[in-house]
Amino acid sequence: MNTLQFLMDGFSIAFQWQNILFAFVGVLIGTAVGVLPGIGPMSGVALLIPVTATLTAGLPTEAAAASSIILLAGVYYGAMYGGSTTSILLNTPGESSSVVTTLDGYQMAKQGRAGSALSIAAIGSFAAEIISLIGLVLLAEPLSNVALQFGPAEYFSLMLLGLAAVSGLAGKSMTKALMMTVFGLMLGTIGIDAVSGIARFTYDIPVLYSGLEFLTIAVGLFALGEVFKTVLERDHEDGTMAKIGRILPTRQDLKESAAPILRGSFLGFFIGVLPGAGATLASFFSYIGEKKFSKNPEQFGKGAIAGVAGPESANNAASGGAMIPLLTLGIPGSGTTAILMGALIMYNIQPGPLLFDDHPEVAWGLIASMFVGNLMLLILNMPLVKVFAKIIQTPKKYLLPIIIAISFFGVYAVQYTTFDLYLLLACGVLGYLFTKNDFPVAPLVLALVLGPMIENNMRRALTISNGDFSTFVTNPISLVLLLIAAAWLLVPLLLKLKGRSVVLNEEG
Amino acid sequence: MSKTFDRFAGIAFLLIGLLFVLESQRISKSSYGSAVGPDIFPIGLGAVLILLSLRLLYETFRYQAKTESGEPVLYKKFLIIFVSALLYAALLEPLGYVITTFAFLLIAFQTMERGKWIKSIIIAGIFSFGVYYFFAEFLGGSLPGFPVF
Repeated sequence: MNTLQFLMDGFSIAFQWQNILFAFVGVLIGTAVGVLPGIGPMSGVALLIPVTATLTAGLPTEAAAASSIILLAGVYYGAMYGGSTTSILLNTPGESSSVVTTLDGYQMAKQGRAGSALSIAAIGSFAAEIISLIGLVLLAEPLSNVALQFGPAEYFSLMLLGLAAVSGLAGKSMTKALMMTVFGLMLGTIGIDAVSGIARFTYDIPVLYSGLEFLTIAVGLFALGEVFKTVLERDHEDGTMAKIGRILPTRQDLKESAAPILRGSFLGFFIGVLPGAGATLASFFSYIGEKKFSKNPEQFGKGAIAGVAGPESANNAASGGAMIPLLTLGIPGSGTTAILMGALIMYNIQPGPLLFDDHPEVAWGLIASMFVGNLMLLILNMPLVKVFAKIIQTPKKYLLPIIIAISFFGVYAVQYTTFDLYLLLACGVLGYLFTKNDFPVAPLVLALVLGPMIENNMRRALTISNGDFSTFVTNPISLVLLLIAAAWLLVPLLLKLKGRSVVLNEEG
Repeated sequence: MSKTFDRFAGIAFLLIGLLFVLESQRISKSSYGSAVGPDIFPIGLGAVLILLSLRLLYETFRYQAKTESGEPVLYKKFLIIFVSALLYAALLEPLGYVITTFAFLLIAFQTMERGKWIKSIIIAGIFSFGVYYFFAEFLGGSLPGFPVF
């Protein structure tokens, strides 16, 4: 069967009524998550995993996994659309990749062009997602075929590369990022060892035998950490919201933004495919690029529509691009994709090269549903943007306690242990403290997800080589991957030593 | 960024690393006589964490402490909410989901901002009953509903 055939099968799954509903609910919640300042895509997806797990409880495993991942991915790309709304209307980014959008978006809103800015952001996001989806469709097969040739040694090195990429660019201090990565790997060793069946670090406590639950840790670190931060450091008073006015962009606006949208989409896509470099970097580079390309660079910062169109397209294309390493190699390149990967593993579905062979329904159903979901988002965002803007006014007083209650419900309904609730609260406090002090938490979660796989591949490779560690460097592909990983960590360090400023990726 | 926190974290992670290396020695060696047992990976991680912690401690002596921004931190509100969340976790099984969720939400709403009791009661009520009935009755999930006397 060729790719087109698979895609058609994917559409037949995406068009099942429950999956259309799941995609719709996903993008709707995602937009809300993007609009609400304080809840990013990571905490949004983490919070919804348990909810989808219960919603899909009656379905067979494969169908349940497809439906859940369709909803969760919808939240992810929906949040990328929604993030622009607050940037433009309030000068407050709803999530970190929309920071650049505030520069020109808010200026446009002040000039009474908020409607144009919002609709261009929606159109640009749509175009970018479609472009990156086509890229995903084209690259999925060839990439997973390459990855299928990999043995345990190559896999081990590839995963190390993934970890290095995310830690190398995250946060302000690489020492801290690496510490969080190693700590995440350590947490992953708690429980019964899958290879030998020996209990490690469990101290005869029964709840520890199955290991620390990824879900509890992710929800605690991201969602609760964010809630605690807002409770402790009340955010500054909400700004005044700009009026939206006319929603459709003028012909002139469309003409001026067409090229930035295209450039932003391709740039964002390639940055998204690279592990570690996420949507924030993509939007940032796109903004710089558009300013260079522009005939009137002095317009930037004063309401240039290209400064909204480019970055907004780039951040959406990056979120589409980030799905490629996740689905084809099984390496999540960002915090949010790490959480999506954790969700798939909960359903016993291993993302990676075998995904397309073993679970075509999940992989192609998801890809097809992303086409459907993006169309929904475009339709939703153009006329309903005024309704979404109302969500911004949800009082924190009610929102924050409800987020705590939702995370309690979610964790308890999946785990059925009070232990996980205490762990959740502890992770919330740690998440707040870590983030406040520049210890990035996304590498920790990524390491927790990848840890067991890294260890298993390492041990398998060492068993084949009779315990000879040189197997990782004598194998050419593995050596190349390790060298890239080392470069990823060393190059920013060298640049720093030379006094260059290094672009950081603060999003997960 | 706070120097005190970084130092404290450096020492804490150093101890965690040491503990990992020591405790890993107690894990039985590989059962099938291969060179790579379940202890190698944790020992390696512990060693790396120790090195990184030392590096962090060394760094804390090099950078200047930045003056903390004068952000007022609302400890009291946070403590009330956190302690009620702990009680929520502890009482969820004995008292059931509806009662504990309702009580927690009401306390938290009022802690965030006093007043508007009726609105708080209505929202807390809709959430706790709504989630319970939707999940337990409609979807057939299992949650401890009400206390069993």
